[in-house]
Amino acid sequence: MDLGHPLQLGVELPLGADDPGAAARLAARAEDLGLDLVVVTDPGADGEPGLDAWTALAAVAGRTERVDLAARGLTLDDRPPAVLARAVASLDHLAGGRVTPGLAAGAGADRDEALDALAEGVDVLRGMWDAADPGPLALEGRHHRVVGAQRGPAPAHTLALWLGDGRTPADTGARVLAARVADGWWLPVADDATPERLAAVRREQAALDADLAAAGRDPREVRRGLVLDAGVGTLVLSAADEDALAAFAEVAAAVRDRVAAGRAARGTRVGTVRSAAVRAARAPGIDYDAVPAALVGTAVEPGDAGYAAVRSTYMRGGRPGLVLRPGSTAEVVEALAYARAQDVPLAIRSGGHGISGRSTNEGGVVLDLSRMTAIEVLDVATRRVRIQPGARWGEVAAALHPYGWALTSGDYGGVGVGGLATAGGIGFLVRAHGLTLDHLRAAEVVLADGSVVRASDDENPDLFWGVRGAGANLGVVTSFEFEVDEVGDVGFAQLVFDASDTEQFLVDYGATLEAAPRDTTAFLIMGPPRGGVVAAQVMAMVDSDDPDTIIERLTPFARIAPLLQQQVQVVPYPAVVSVPQRHTSDGEPVTRSGMAEHLTPELAADAARLVRSGATPFFQIRAAGGAVHDVPADATAYAHRSANFSIVAMGSSRRRIDAIWDAMAHHFDGAYLSFETDRRPERLADVYPGATLERLRGLKRRYDPEDVFRHNYSVAEPPAVVV
Amino acid sequence: MTDYGHDLLFGSFITPGNAAPERVVGLAQLSEQAGLDLATFQDHPYQPSFLDTWTLLSYVAARTERITLAPNVANLPLRPPAVLARSVASLDLLSGGRVELGLGSGAFWDAIEAMGGRRLTPGQGVDALREAIAVIRALWDTSERARVDLPGEYWPLAGAKRGPAPAHPVGIWVGAYKPRMLRLTGQHADGWLPSLGYLSSMQDLDDANARIDDAAAAAGRDPRAVRRLLNVGGRLSARRSTDLLTGPPEQWVEQLAVLALEHGTSAFIATGDDPTLLTVLGQEIAPAVRELVAAERGGAGTAPAAVVAGEA
Repeated sequence: MDLGHPLQLGVELPLGADDPGAAARLAARAEDLGLDLVVVTDPGADGEPGLDAWTALAAVAGRTERVDLAARGLTLDDRPPAVLARAVASLDHLAGGRVTPGLAAGAGADRDEALDALAEGVDVLRGMWDAADPGPLALEGRHHRVVGAQRGPAPAHTLALWLGDGRTPADTGARVLAARVADGWWLPVADDATPERLAAVRREQAALDADLAAAGRDPREVRRGLVLDAGVGTLVLSAADEDALAAFAEVAAAVRDRVAAGRAARGTRVGTVRSAAVRAARAPGIDYDAVPAALVGTAVEPGDAGYAAVRSTYMRGGRPGLVLRPGSTAEVVEALAYARAQDVPLAIRSGGHGISGRSTNEGGVVLDLSRMTAIEVLDVATRRVRIQPGARWGEVAAALHPYGWALTSGDYGGVGVGGLATAGGIGFLVRAHGLTLDHLRAAEVVLADGSVVRASDDENPDLFWGVRGAGANLGVVTSFEFEVDEVGDVGFAQLVFDASDTEQFLVDYGATLEAAPRDTTAFLIMGPPRGGVVAAQVMAMVDSDDPDTIIERLTPFARIAPLLQQQVQVVPYPAVVSVPQRHTSDGEPVTRSGMAEHLTPELAADAARLVRSGATPFFQIRAAGGAVHDVPADATAYAHRSANFSIVAMGSSRRRIDAIWDAMAHHFDGAYLSFETDRRPERLADVYPGATLERLRGLKRRYDPEDVFRHNYSVAEPPAVVV
Repeated sequence: MTDYGHDLLFGSFITPGNAAPERVVGLAQLSEQAGLDLATFQDHPYQPSFLDTWTLLSYVAARTERITLAPNVANLPLRPPAVLARSVASLDLLSGGRVELGLGSGAFWDAIEAMGGRRLTPGQGVDALREAIAVIRALWDTSERARVDLPGEYWPLAGAKRGPAPAHPVGIWVGAYKPRMLRLTGQHADGWLPSLGYLSSMQDLDDANARIDDAAAAAGRDPRAVRRLLNVGGRLSARRSTDLLTGPPEQWVEQLAVLALEHGTSAFIATGDDPTLLTVLGQEIAPAVRELVAAERGGAGTAPAAVVAGEA
């Protein structure tokens, strides 16, 4: 019987200590030849000690990029299962989701005891990977005892746990256990080429299917592997030399073609079936069985171990029903078509930092671009760089630094490229180098109808206009081409002022910043008074590595008010914008945004009252002028070209912050999309004033008439309801 | 107040956080590019935000060419010595002899027990470590064919096959602070690997060195058979300070030279995960310390240590 499992063809790696380089060599060759899988087998306590299988697999992971990595027959006699769970998850993260672990019962005279120990070990591994469960893991087995271990991390992908060492003659107990708990089973069939062998494979398969039926499982839930044959989806050539491998690869190609043709003729559905427990956790309204084959392996659903890591975003909690993680433009097209066919909300996520942009949801589909992280230099002479949307700004900074370049971005290295580069991009280089989107020269965009178009000054110029400021309304940008700047080391200052005379401080600060040369950008943060003191934290970057220039630029700031703390360093840009630890929240962010040309005494007085009220734990004034002013307001969909300041207040109470902010509205001229969370319809005209909104509505009618892309301030008229 | 005359080693002590694995691997690669001798990773298998240290070392070995790698220090209670011995030997073979074994008896017993490790008293921990070192050395010793039988309370071996042997004589560096563990270090280890932050003064360092020397001598070993390594925290800053390793590179050079010449330390492993510090350490500080120490040793006529590998 064909179970429809994707065919995997691989090779078992030699682990002899006499030629330690052989495993990595053969694995690299297998990858070159297009095989799917390399396998290391633990010889077990009675086997001949060669290289430690796990160590060798991790080293092979470091020498390969694409091929899947399986360990077969790892025993838990001397590997505490909780530690092995972390080792497996670690390697899966290091290797980009390529790991398939396999366990076997340990040595020991009593086979039943050894199988009991293995069953306990499997529970420990699965429990440790279940990072979604906030409680510690407690499993008091007779063989393995875990008492209150912290769970996690989940592996990088939904991995399959295999059982069986493939060598022992038929072992009923091990097979029954596999039928109960495994995702894959190495068939114990002798490694010879007799006709009896095929019969043995059929016998073993039938026995496993009977055990699965007895355990109440679908036979398609368990893959079957054979070290060199019917219903078997994984075929592995046993330890071979390079010539044998090359010959196998040729046969493999032929097998692949014939299996594919046969399956096509019969209409067999190819895929691995998720376990009953995972299926039980599915959300209504999503046709999980229809997820395109290319996306199945990386998709995450609520019952999967990796779900906790992907459900929420930086500032917003969520429980989506399905997270699709396309790795290429073609996969984005497939994911989008699939998502549109589901009767649930859709969210698009790049770095998952969005405050205005809703990149998670309840029960919907998330199109998560975090696997699309490539950063390539296209042309050194013109400093042209192509970046995929899932890269984060800290990664971009680190990648450009060796060239002596930087791209003005936000101030936080964890933000994703996609969301920021389609909205604005106000960071520590904004006055010197403008908005991120001012550096965009071309973009590849997947439109709502699935077409892939290029947008630039010459191609689809209207779309190019709209993508720069309202990209989230028009499509999914799958690659950005930027012209970046030469940026050497920079001066970076962190100054803390006593700003208790808050009104005067803000007025002076605003005037000082406006008067500063464009190489200087400063952001100010205030919180509620503590002990009667309002402290203002100013972070300022000077685009210069000359200490005298840096001091000269900072001196006017230092004179504004008494300094409580100060630190000034000359640092590489990536030292300021670096990739932080991932962070997620529950709940909903409460923020308001306003753009202002000057910090007038009237604005300063209201801002001071807001800060003293305690309604905002985080009140920030970002520089937003300088080079931003060089671009006409109608040149892009980002229209706030006369503002010198972008002001944001975060709050804990929507009602309270709205009441204060609404009363301050007359100070502001517009709002910055990415920091606004007020969902009343009038905000749209703040973000996209006047003619900008009219033009965007025209684009919306043309490119996204059904308002598929509504998750970040839809310009549609009327907008579709955001769920 | 001894200089054991070992050649000097400089290295990095890297936090194996799992939030951005590529950054952790990158710090090891940067250590290599900066010319450092060692990239080491702390090992806390009960810490859910860390990568598994052994797996990480194996992966990093494949992503580097020249630098020596070590756990700093491996958590024995959760890394049973037989598998650890074979893993270390395997990685030494796979990496062309670039692995050393930092080993510790474990400290955070609640967390160790929660993960399935056996809770031990400090005294039991010393005995378990002694047994483990014997297990590791026996499995590495393929000069004999006979299977290994080592009765023990904590890590017994019964009829274990030997091998594989590592590609080079792998040093066992023990993380030790208390008298019994220091004695064990003098008797059985190839190196002593404490963290400066856990020592209250230079006097602590000297006292511990003396204990190790005495224990080595009593066991019939040359005290120089035990290399003295040190994890050091510190910060580069423009201005000199009176604090240890908080100042410009010149201050680091002077203070590290003093540690080498007067306190016997011959390996400096920088904590803090700071790329700038690691670069400066490898490119500026290490060559200058080596030069200064060589000049002083030449003057003082210190005989270079003959490092004795394995148990004396």
